Amino acid sequence: MFTIFGIGPLTFITFLPLLGMLILLAIPSGKDEKTKETSINLLRWVTVGITFIQLVVALLIYANFRTDLVGVNDPNSFQFVEKVKWISVKGLPLFGDLNIEYFVGIDGLSAPMVLLTALICFVATFSSWSIKKAHKGYFMMYLLLDLGMMGVFVALDFFLFYVFWELMLLPMYFLIGIWGGPRKEYAAIKFFIYTLFGSVFMLLVMIGLYFSVGSFNLLDMMNPANFKPGEIFTGFQTTWRLVAFVALFVGFAIKVPTVPFHTWLPDAHVEAPTPISVILAGILLKMGTYGMLRVAWPIFPEAVAYFNNYIAFIGMVSIIYGALCALGQHKVGKRDLKKLIAYSSVSHMGYVMLGISALNSNGLTGAIFQMFNHGTITAMLFMIVGVIYDRAHTRGLDEFGGLANKMPVYTGIMAIAFFAAIGLPGLSGFISEALVFLGAFATYPVLTVISALGVVLGAAYMLWALQRMFFGKLPERWSGPWDPTGKEYKHDDINGIELAALVPLAIVVIFLGVFPGAVVNLMTSSVNHLIEIVKIGGQFAGM
Amino acid sequence: MDSLLSLFIGQYVADLKRSLALFAPELVLATAFVLLVIVDLIFQKSKYITGVVALLGFAVATIFMIVSPANTSFGFWQMYVFDPFSNFFKYIFLISGFAVVLISFFSNELNKSDRTMGEYYTLILGMTLGMFVISSAGNLILIYLALETMSLSSYVLAGYTKEIKRASEASLKYVIYGALASGLMIYGISILYGLTGTLSLFQINAFLTQYQGPVFPLVVASLLVLVGFGYKISAVPFHFWTPDVYEGAPVAITAYLSVASKAAGFAVFMRFLKAGFIDPTNASEQVWTMVSSIDWKFIVAVLSVLSMTIGNFVALWQTNVKRMLAYSSIAHAGYMLMGVTVMTEGGYIAVMIYFFTYLLMNFGAFYVVQLIANEIGSEELEDYNGLGYRSPLLGTAMAIFLVSLTGLPPTAGFVGKLYIFQAVINSNMIWLAVVGVLNSVVSLAYYAKVFRNMWLRGVDSNSAPLKYSIYAQLLVYAFVIPTLYYGIFWTPLVFWAKSSVMMFIGK
Amino acid sequence: MLITNIPLEFYLVLSAILFVIGAVGVLTRRNAIIIFMSIEIMLNSVNLTFVSFSIYFGDTLGQLFVFFVMAIAAAEAAIGLAIVLALYRLKQTVFVDEVNLLKW
Repeated sequence: MFTIFGIGPLTFITFLPLLGMLILLAIPSGKDEKTKETSINLLRWVTVGITFIQLVVALLIYANFRTDLVGVNDPNSFQFVEKVKWISVKGLPLFGDLNIEYFVGIDGLSAPMVLLTALICFVATFSSWSIKKAHKGYFMMYLLLDLGMMGVFVALDFFLFYVFWELMLLPMYFLIGIWGGPRKEYAAIKFFIYTLFGSVFMLLVMIGLYFSVGSFNLLDMMNPANFKPGEIFTGFQTTWRLVAFVALFVGFAIKVPTVPFHTWLPDAHVEAPTPISVILAGILLKMGTYGMLRVAWPIFPEAVAYFNNYIAFIGMVSIIYGALCALGQHKVGKRDLKKLIAYSSVSHMGYVMLGISALNSNGLTGAIFQMFNHGTITAMLFMIVGVIYDRAHTRGLDEFGGLANKMPVYTGIMAIAFFAAIGLPGLSGFISEALVFLGAFATYPVLTVISALGVVLGAAYMLWALQRMFFGKLPERWSGPWDPTGKEYKHDDINGIELAALVPLAIVVIFLGVFPGAVVNLMTSSVNHLIEIVKIGGQFAGM
Repeated sequence: MDSLLSLFIGQYVADLKRSLALFAPELVLATAFVLLVIVDLIFQKSKYITGVVALLGFAVATIFMIVSPANTSFGFWQMYVFDPFSNFFKYIFLISGFAVVLISFFSNELNKSDRTMGEYYTLILGMTLGMFVISSAGNLILIYLALETMSLSSYVLAGYTKEIKRASEASLKYVIYGALASGLMIYGISILYGLTGTLSLFQINAFLTQYQGPVFPLVVASLLVLVGFGYKISAVPFHFWTPDVYEGAPVAITAYLSVASKAAGFAVFMRFLKAGFIDPTNASEQVWTMVSSIDWKFIVAVLSVLSMTIGNFVALWQTNVKRMLAYSSIAHAGYMLMGVTVMTEGGYIAVMIYFFTYLLMNFGAFYVVQLIANEIGSEELEDYNGLGYRSPLLGTAMAIFLVSLTGLPPTAGFVGKLYIFQAVINSNMIWLAVVGVLNSVVSLAYYAKVFRNMWLRGVDSNSAPLKYSIYAQLLVYAFVIPTLYYGIFWTPLVFWAKSSVMMFIGK
Repeated sequence: MLITNIPLEFYLVLSAILFVIGAVGVLTRRNAIIIFMSIEIMLNSVNLTFVSFSIYFGDTLGQLFVFFVMAIAAAEAAIGLAIVLALYRLKQTVFVDEVNLLKW
């Protein structure tokens, strides 16, 4: 393990945003127009700098990551581990010895997510150029959100995990609520209450597990031998264990979100500013499925066996329902491109659920890879919407047409993202979807065949949107330059800052379409190990 | 015979001497009370001198608290109890006392030119003295006296701004509800006296271990006594005074009532339950056995669920921030009652931890409300629009306090809730824990309204920024920093509560 | 004739009746002065209970309590009337149902 200034890489990458926040706090806001402008630019570039260092550290971690170590429930094969006592109280009546550790480390499940978080946070900073008010607060909240997300992916202590999980709610609330669209208040509080509703049950399960195991260590909770006799979660497929699994599942499923917990997502996405939509789709949604694989699956493997059919079914429903809703955006009167992409997220996260439920190497690898790919592809899609929305101040599907001539570079980038979202071979989305279907077909052939319909629907709504917006005739109202004063946009096409956000993602999407091994190899051994744990744990349930 | 009498007198004097030494903090408060009256007579012009003297009184009392030897014993012939449990609450009262005096210094509504502030600080001291006594009282006479000392002072304090209509109205409602509650309570005490022939909690306990008579009068008497405590902690259904008084009273007093007065109510209620109704020979740390057949667990659980649910749901409709916080304080009484329901040492520890965190965040929230009211002259939710941009410090602080009140990490409020839920789950009352967490989700809905108005609305308004003196700002930090600090490193808090849970029960 | 020739129950029932009258008075009367009078009735019924128990037990504790209750009742009445007076100056009324600025 390497260190940075004597600090472990995971601690460094997680708490670097805190340093960034302090720096931002110290930047004066400026008196007149000119100094104000300088101050805002300073805020932007400091954030870019912080997230860039994060990305570099993430790449260093990637370079030093050993793919042969399995992790998941084996404390000895986690990497970059740091373990410090955080709260330690001995001999408390009722509670016994209370030990909470600052315990971080990564394995094949979390390594791709850490990489994804660093990447998306970095590129989303560039799309934050479109933020027009209260810059200081925005970038501070942005970094706080970054901290919370990174923390969730590296935490191996349930308590720490929970703290990071909740830490992220408040900045997200403000980011949607202050810098969002017209119905921002509604969207923000809906997001907040929905997620809190899910996580309070997680809190109860966490406390119950703590009493059953005697520590908050996630890895301890995964070993059935650690459960003390007579405690609430001790045993095999007891009612309480199944209830606890459902509670955890609902908590995570709200975040994913799967049908029927998805209703907050379209609202949040439509109202959130572009960079926040990017983060929401790119990272936050992954926390749900990641939480399932990190917490719920290995701790309650026999409950997975018990509920797996339902989980696969939920995955299938999410795929089809999300796709149909997205297709519904083409109806007259709705026609919001951002909402279309939001619903496509529901559909694409359904693939992840389906892949997880396959419980074989292909399916699970596909699921995690799909998490990564959906993160990059949807991030691109939201940025693309942001680019056009910033210029036209509308994103109705039928209000555009023929943009290909007006904005050729933009159209090129857009095409990569759209085709990757459809799952065109040669782009990253194809590989993960194919793996998911391959895996899921072995376990649930019928559900998989129905789910494959989602791909067809996906192609339909994406291509239709593409055709409506980029081909055909340019409407009269957009014939002139976007910004007649020429202050904001000097030419019609996409500008440098926006390209800085989109191009890295496009490269990643194309690269992973050709060399998927770069990410897939990270997770293979952990995925196989996780499947083994779940299968062994579920054996008695007749799997 | 003569020698026996002199022996008795000798013992009595020895006990008195010993007790008075331990009673020093209360004596200091009483002295400061008298001193304040005199100081007020001499310095009639100055507004702050009496407050400073009150602070000095608190400081000296704190010193005596610290230097007094750790002691768990009776004092004053079983009337009084010295134990770590009462000390914990006395520190809570002292911290709140400091806080309320300091907050009052920065209150515009209190420090009007034509108002004398001498009685105000005098009464705060009197109230604190009552709280000190009630947290140590081992006898129902003393409990009643201390409760009334507290109540009588607080009636006047609630209406101290007597030219404001709603303050006088709040005061009137407070005194009527208070008198009714204390009337019911002493009627209960009188029945309890008739049943047991004693007023000492410890003798009642001893009596109940052998009690074979009818349960009904005992239940009625206990429930009537419970009315008095329930009224102090403002638990539903004894809460009717709370919203009115909290809205009408000066903010500093509202904060003091919501924290210290509630703490006193909890201290005496917890002692009443444990000293009076727990079998002391069989009180293991994990489970307490009750000496009577009254199902206290059920009664307290019902109170708790009612308080949480009604407090939170009614708060959803409030448009006045003070009134909303009043309902939130009812809900918090419900959360804390969850810890009492458990009826174990662990549950009591959880309540004590919760109280400390509640002190920080609730005082903080009310202080911010007061500072805002100083400048904009309103406590209405609508007038809070865009305040976050006019005063980023207050906006941020308020958001932190409210998040803490909701119980989200990494704030102190989360730690309090965590321990309460741990205690409840460990005693297998999972339904109660579920009600509790659902209630905290509901509470988010109205707490969020405040920081929604402060930050999400009026972003572009160019109203003048709010200006506060450096001292007023420092006091905000004094509440914010511990709220965050104890949310991350709460080990000392748990140690303190753990070492303080030991309650002297006469054995 | 000794006081104890009358059974204890008589005193208790009397005081219970007085207490209920007082409590109902507090809850139903609109005039603040009468409310305070009702509270006094409640407190005095409590005193009666204490005294009678005290006599029958041959124990002075109950009578001791009565002194405290009387002292506190006086203080409570004084404060209560002072508050009523303060309110009367503002609103020219002593009827509690006309004091209705604060409502949920």
